[in-house]
Amino acid sequence: MIDERTEELASLYAFDLLEGAELAAFEAGLAQDAGLRALAHELRESASALSLAAPAVTPPDWLKSRLFVSLAEKSHPTNRRVTSLAPLAWFPWAVAACLALTSAWLAQLYFSQKSESLAQHEQAALAQMEIQSMQNQIEGEHILASRQLADLQAQIKANGDLSHLEIAKLVSLLGHSPQARAIAVWDQATQQGVLTVENLPALAADQDYQLWVIDPKYPDPVSGGVFTVDAQTGTARVAFHPGQLIATAAKFAVSCERKGGRPKPEGPIVLLSE
Amino acid sequence: MFATHACPPAVAGLAAAACVFRAGGDFYSRMSESTEDRSEIDARLLQRMARGDRAAFSDLYDRFSRPLYSAALRILGDARETEDIVHDVFLAIWEKSAAFSAERGTAFAWAVTLTRNRAIDRLRLRKRRGELLGASVPADLGYDETAGTTDALVFKEKAQLVRSALAALPAEQKQAVELAFFGGLTQEQIAENLQQPLGTVKARIRRGLLKLRDALRLHHD
Repeated sequence: MIDERTEELASLYAFDLLEGAELAAFEAGLAQDAGLRALAHELRESASALSLAAPAVTPPDWLKSRLFVSLAEKSHPTNRRVTSLAPLAWFPWAVAACLALTSAWLAQLYFSQKSESLAQHEQAALAQMEIQSMQNQIEGEHILASRQLADLQAQIKANGDLSHLEIAKLVSLLGHSPQARAIAVWDQATQQGVLTVENLPALAADQDYQLWVIDPKYPDPVSGGVFTVDAQTGTARVAFHPGQLIATAAKFAVSCERKGGRPKPEGPIVLLSE
Repeated sequence: MFATHACPPAVAGLAAAACVFRAGGDFYSRMSESTEDRSEIDARLLQRMARGDRAAFSDLYDRFSRPLYSAALRILGDARETEDIVHDVFLAIWEKSAAFSAERGTAFAWAVTLTRNRAIDRLRLRKRRGELLGASVPADLGYDETAGTTDALVFKEKAQLVRSALAALPAEQKQAVELAFFGGLTQEQIAENLQQPLGTVKARIRRGLLKLRDALRLHHD
């Protein structure tokens, strides 16, 4: 006879609402009472039928496809049916033999795996060293490339700075000093220039060389200033800044003038740009 | 886990089974089809699955997927999670098919238990009980009438019988039983949710489930 208390437990059990000691006690009762097992079974089936009380919804068609894709990735289930065997006289010996074979197999497996593990460990170490070496090489190449890039950038910058400069070579018009020469570097943007002179004969104390910038915009050459040369070497380096705005420095010329220079050339031209 | 149960005699083979309408389970199958046929078909499908027969798995899916999906969706209220649960449950059924024993219960009850447990685990993980259980059971428990397959028609009939039996319960018992099955709550949480003493709730669950069993049994008889 099943009382109300037991029915209550069976009902809660059907809904998986028993826990802990209550569950353990009920399951112990199930093991001993066939009537209780029948009741629990009926109530479990009744509870399962409640699933049909849910508003019915058709699963999406692709769910079955997804399921079979997942199934394809799995192996066949293991058939775990237990076949009952009649006790045999040789059974203990068979068990012992199986244990021995299993032990031998496990030992072989252990050493095999250990050896394989060591080999893999060594390979991993070598791979790590190789990776480290490659990382160092890459780092070195990176530093070198960075330096080369910096040099190139500096060079490009310098080239960029020089690209807008105008450079003119002045040659001698002096019959007695044909080796005299000069280089004029002109920066149109800043309206400044540098004149470097070589092998030009020194002048008398009352004379100066005067630099001229010839711009077609003006009827007369524009003075770039006066200078003297070293009496021993005939050299000079003169920074000049014409007094008038130069639109086009078509040519440069150096003349020999009276001390202090003249507004426009009066003396002989000794150097002229090509 | 399940109580021992006398295994119904095998009265129908697979050829005969093909002519039997498809649905899953023991209790609902009694209502218009012999228990023996239903249980035997499900059990044989599981046996074939245990040997790697995917056609049997496909058949079992066709039989069980709709009620399992609906129950999981009722518990979770989220289609995407429900799809994951049903997918996982069927994979579990496939993997455990060799372990199934008809003596411990029907295949359908086993599948429902798997589905419900997983859905409830997911539900508890989400900690969204309050959101999902705030409302009572939907008044419209209508079946998906757009489904016109034989399985759908069978389940429509079975579902109506279960719903009728459920609707015949006193409101407080119906509410307690539904919360116990779909709610994913503990005894104490059900009592708290219903604002009733624990003993009262236990009694309502007991009375409700016993009446449900009797109603379904009466229909069968």
